[in-house]
Amino acid sequence: MRDFIHFYLNGKPVTLSGSAVFQTLSDFLRYERGATGTKVVCAEGDCGACTVLLGKVEAGALAYRAVNSCIQSLYQLDCTHVITVEGVKLNGTLCAVQEAMTANHAAQCGYCTPGFVVSMCGLFDAQTSVTEQDIKDALTGNLCRCTGYEPIIKSGLAVETDRVVKFSQMYPQAEMLESFRKLADQPIYIQAGNQTFGSPTETAGAIKFKAGHEKTVVVQGATDVGVWCNKRNFVPPAVLSLSKIEELKDLTIAGDVVRVGARVTLSELEAFIKDVVPEFYAILNIFGAPQIKNAGTLAGNIANGSPIADTLPFLFVMEAELELAGGQGSRRVGIREFYKGYKTFDLAADEIIVRVHIPLPQPGETLKLYKVSKRKDLDISTFTAAIRLTVEQGMVGNVRIAYGGVGPVVLRLPRTEAFLSGKTHTLETYEAAGLLAREEITPISDVRGSSEFRFQLAENILQKFFYETC
Amino acid sequence: MPVVGKNIPHDSARGHVSGESLYIDDMPFARNELLVDFVGSPFAHGKLIDIDLSEAQRIPGVVGLYTAKDLACNLFGPILKDEVLLVEDVAWFLGEPIVVIAAETRDAMRQAKAAVRITMEELPPVFTISEAIAKQQFLAPERFIRRGDLAAGFAAADHLLEGVFTNGGQDHFYLESQAALVYPGENNTLTVHSSTQHPTEVQEIVAKLLGLQNNQVVCITKRMGGGFGGKESQATHPAVMAGLVALRHKRPARIVFTKDDDMKVTGKRHPFENRYKVGFTNDGVITAFQVELYSNGGAYADLSTAVMARAMTHADNAYFLPNVEIKGVCCRTNLPPNTAFRGFGGPQGTVTIENIMEEIAFLLKKDPLEVRRANLYGETERNVTPYGEIVMNNMLPRLAAEQFRRSDYENRREAVRRFNAESKTHLKGLSCTFVKFGISFNTKFLNQASALVNIYLDGTVQVSTGATEMGQGVNTKIRQVVADQFAIEPEAVILMPTSTEKSNNASATAASSGADLNGSAAVDACQRLRTRLAEAAAKFIASKEADIEASPSNILFEDGYVFDNRRPARRMSFKELVKYAYHQRISLGERGFYATQGIDWNWETGSGNPFLYYTMGCSVAEVLLDRFTGALKVLRSDVLMDIGKSINPGIDRGQLTGAYIQGMGWVTTEELKYAANGDLLSHSPTTYKIPNIQDLPEVFNVDWIENDTNEVNLLRSKAVGEPPLLMAIAVWTAVKDALSAVSGDEIPRLHLPATNEEILMRLTHYRKTAASSVTETVETARV
Ligand SMILES: Cc1cc2nc3c(=O)[nH]c(=O)nc-3n(C[C@H](O)[C@H](O)[C@H](O)COP(=O)(O)OP(=O)(O)OC[C@H]3O[C@@H](n4cnc5c(N)ncnc54)[C@H](O)[C@@H]3O)c2cc1C
Ligand code: FES
Ligand code: FES
Repeated sequence: MRDFIHFYLNGKPVTLSGSAVFQTLSDFLRYERGATGTKVVCAEGDCGACTVLLGKVEAGALAYRAVNSCIQSLYQLDCTHVITVEGVKLNGTLCAVQEAMTANHAAQCGYCTPGFVVSMCGLFDAQTSVTEQDIKDALTGNLCRCTGYEPIIKSGLAVETDRVVKFSQMYPQAEMLESFRKLADQPIYIQAGNQTFGSPTETAGAIKFKAGHEKTVVVQGATDVGVWCNKRNFVPPAVLSLSKIEELKDLTIAGDVVRVGARVTLSELEAFIKDVVPEFYAILNIFGAPQIKNAGTLAGNIANGSPIADTLPFLFVMEAELELAGGQGSRRVGIREFYKGYKTFDLAADEIIVRVHIPLPQPGETLKLYKVSKRKDLDISTFTAAIRLTVEQGMVGNVRIAYGGVGPVVLRLPRTEAFLSGKTHTLETYEAAGLLAREEITPISDVRGSSEFRFQLAENILQKFFYETC
Repeated sequence: MPVVGKNIPHDSARGHVSGESLYIDDMPFARNELLVDFVGSPFAHGKLIDIDLSEAQRIPGVVGLYTAKDLACNLFGPILKDEVLLVEDVAWFLGEPIVVIAAETRDAMRQAKAAVRITMEELPPVFTISEAIAKQQFLAPERFIRRGDLAAGFAAADHLLEGVFTNGGQDHFYLESQAALVYPGENNTLTVHSSTQHPTEVQEIVAKLLGLQNNQVVCITKRMGGGFGGKESQATHPAVMAGLVALRHKRPARIVFTKDDDMKVTGKRHPFENRYKVGFTNDGVITAFQVELYSNGGAYADLSTAVMARAMTHADNAYFLPNVEIKGVCCRTNLPPNTAFRGFGGPQGTVTIENIMEEIAFLLKKDPLEVRRANLYGETERNVTPYGEIVMNNMLPRLAAEQFRRSDYENRREAVRRFNAESKTHLKGLSCTFVKFGISFNTKFLNQASALVNIYLDGTVQVSTGATEMGQGVNTKIRQVVADQFAIEPEAVILMPTSTEKSNNASATAASSGADLNGSAAVDACQRLRTRLAEAAAKFIASKEADIEASPSNILFEDGYVFDNRRPARRMSFKELVKYAYHQRISLGERGFYATQGIDWNWETGSGNPFLYYTMGCSVAEVLLDRFTGALKVLRSDVLMDIGKSINPGIDRGQLTGAYIQGMGWVTTEELKYAANGDLLSHSPTTYKIPNIQDLPEVFNVDWIENDTNEVNLLRSKAVGEPPLLMAIAVWTAVKDALSAVSGDEIPRLHLPATNEEILMRLTHYRKTAASSVTETVETARV
């Protein structure tokens, strides 16, 4: 057991304990270290101005991924290497990415620029040759109001790749790995004022912590929790990290079922699922942005329990099961049963989600997933849908439909499902089903759309499905 | 080699990519510095009953709480003086500042904000233009631009069209929110570092509201993290708040708005509601045009009247209107005062007539481009604007012809028609729009600038002008211009932070005029320095060469050297000349001045020559709509402009792409949504959706034509800051075009922005109408 966290910042070791670990990384950088290259604009993960790279041990080496420092707390950084815009220069001279951006007018006012530089450096550290689409995909989480992005994309294409020096060369990788190795199996327990932080190395330790601390908040990517802290003055009395529990990192296919450990990030899942369930991949592809997916987890998306969580309609129609662990042992609960009302769950005070079991679509089944949002990328859904069914000899069967954003929880549509079963696969059928679907939902009007809009989407999506599958 | 016309990097580019460029919140913290913030009105409209500060005062770390009575003066405004900094009696918008707080720590500040108790009586608010009209609640008297005989024009028409166009506002979403840092000096002086487009206004208003003389306040602006008009008049408010604290406590004081607060309490692009009546012939030629422009000005006048003036002078856009009446009215509502935003009313005026062009074409079943070309300003006739200015140097016909070819308009029009006939799931739309944007401030006296040019003994140069750098590259352009004046390397010229100490009484960096005005002032200073240097050089060379007389007119500056063209071999470096001149006791500093000639404007008659020249363009956009979700995708954009002779093609191109995408955001995804009490719900990037990198048109062709005939402006260049934003209007009209494929006999009316919801609700309406086969009567009548 130790009472401190240890990480590297631009190659230099940092050890912190006490209340300091509860501050955000961006505050620490800007106000403690005077490293003001990292900008804060929105403080809610949605603009990328605060992007830093987080190096974590993967397969014996450090792999760097972009995250938003405004919603990362320092306690999440144990055994990582943080690289900020101040840390990408090569011995004081501009790196290849910075040179290309300078020459190609990628910066106008410059406020978004450090974030873009860092994201792009992450891309070129991971990959030697890049396409225009790679560049866009790597920069989806970075907003720029000045340039119209075109010069930034041009810069990316102009980077002299043979001049790119990998971070493993720039920084003392062996030293960092060695120091992380020594600390990896030491659980952390920090108490400061009215806040406690625990990072056990085993599931049992996590359950014990949760049972022993009232109102414990499991914090994984903090892409939800971090926003509450910044925007709703939320101060979690006890924070439980799962990041040292190796067994929660599993991501495998066993038979017809994908098992996703609680720690698996959305980025890892996205890469894994690409060829397994392309429809789900497409949804993960437009989920948030790289910075969000590199930190955020599937378990977090489920446990946050928003009716517009993007992974849920898929999990609902696949009838996924959650594996929960608690003081009473472990148990399984169906995803639909897990939600008891708006943000209320079948989850005991001492339980955590350890794993998600997702049955795979069967041959002959059709699966379609939909996300409607004002902006295609990096936006929260207005409406989501999943439709899974079979069509045999022109007849519809085995229908499962789930809608999000039209009620307090994600909904299955039993009447519409029953109606479709045994009907002919024709436009008229789906038009009629759409009218029925309207009756099964209770959408509200909010900033993302009116209830009429959502009703109409609920009706239309079935017709869209028909045209896509006819 | 001249550097004007070269694509050199932005002068801050290296700092930007390194994260070393400093913005207000990056400036090092002083040990005794105070944080400043404010508490605002809980109601959009309310009478202030009581302010209870007792609880807040007791919080450790809270050092000061201030209200209106702590200000020496509490009335100001950039045009009309109708605005208060802190509410005294009645609050006019939600969040309108009431109490300014100074605290030692962020924690104390957070507690203090929660502990301030404000008691108010809620009054009925007004949020929309129609409500304001019903209540006759206006910010200023209505104004007119008129020409010709409307009645005769309507009588000559084959058709009449009436309608209402509405657009929403737009948040600037500059990434750096409003911010100021104020250092107190001796004898009640203040140094204000402000993220402002208008240091002089900050200086003046800080001085006035705090009871100081202007000369006691220096305002410095190194740069802004984006401005777009949002920091033209509204950077003053945070600056005064920090100034008040700095003055009272004699401690540095800093205020930095959060993005949420910034979006909630600052003004935006004006929503408009425009009612039009147009008469036109069977060929689509407009014979009479009558429009009433109503803007939603918000709580105070701010720049609304000037914005309206530009909307009115751009209601013609690229089209000749023989008989015309344009009325402009600024409505007063209980929203934060709306303000300047790139285009400054121009986009709202322009989109109104572009909308009408689509509708005329729809009614006549013609290609909208044909209608536009039938109305386009001519080069020698039909070339006088409604306000009497002649459209000189008219590039519109040339742009039209060129763009028609480049964009492959004809083939694509046919392809779109075919696609719409076949696709059951999607619709395409194609549209070509024009831009004719007048350059100069409509207010004549603002068209002046000064510049200070100092040469140092090593031959390097510092330039200070009234222009502020917000990313647009004005400093880089001036650097190039000055470097060429002395034929030295651009690296030898540095642009200094904008300061009221060096450039007094400067106009805002606005109206796209920053480089035009300030660059011209810099040239004026350089030319005077050059005259003196040439005299010195002539003397020096003549003294060395036996058989020539000193002749300054023979002196040339080239490639870092100065020589007499009769003795090119005896050249001296610029640096040597500077040293020599210094020893000859010749002044190596100069202040230049520029005032635009030949412009004027008269509101009595609604006429004049308000613009020195026009920047023009022709834009083609193609969109794809999902019939079931309303999702919009921009497939291709062709942007072709006339920007004169570019001083820096890289920077100008960046203005084109940046403004276009910003304009695309305005017409598509950027939607300001308010709660019933006037609270802005879309107050952060989570809910307010500016374009993302993935939203770029799949094909994005951006270019300009060669034109070196703009003799009236700096080195034949043209202003490019605002005009390309209006090019994105084609995206919106393309949506309208797509809808016209399914709207039957009904004119496809469309609100701006064309969000997915707006599009789907329109599509649904047409589907239902088609299903019930009730065709509504077309809003036109034969006369
Ligand atoms: C900018 C931005 C964009 C976003 N875009 C999307 C989007 O497109 N679609 C979408 O659906 N969501 C989106 N989100 C929301 C968020 O990213 C997801 O919900 C994400 O999956 C949360 O994962 P996390 O690991 O970060 O959760 P955290 O924030 O760490 O935790 C979220 C909640 O889950 C609980 N929790 C986490 N793990 C467990 C566990 N193992 N057992 C029990 N409880 C647990 C936590 O206690 C907390 O209550 C976005 C968020 C941001 C900031
Ligand atoms: S500041 Fe916007 S993502 Fe962090
Ligand atoms: S350069 Fe200004 S926001 Fe990107």
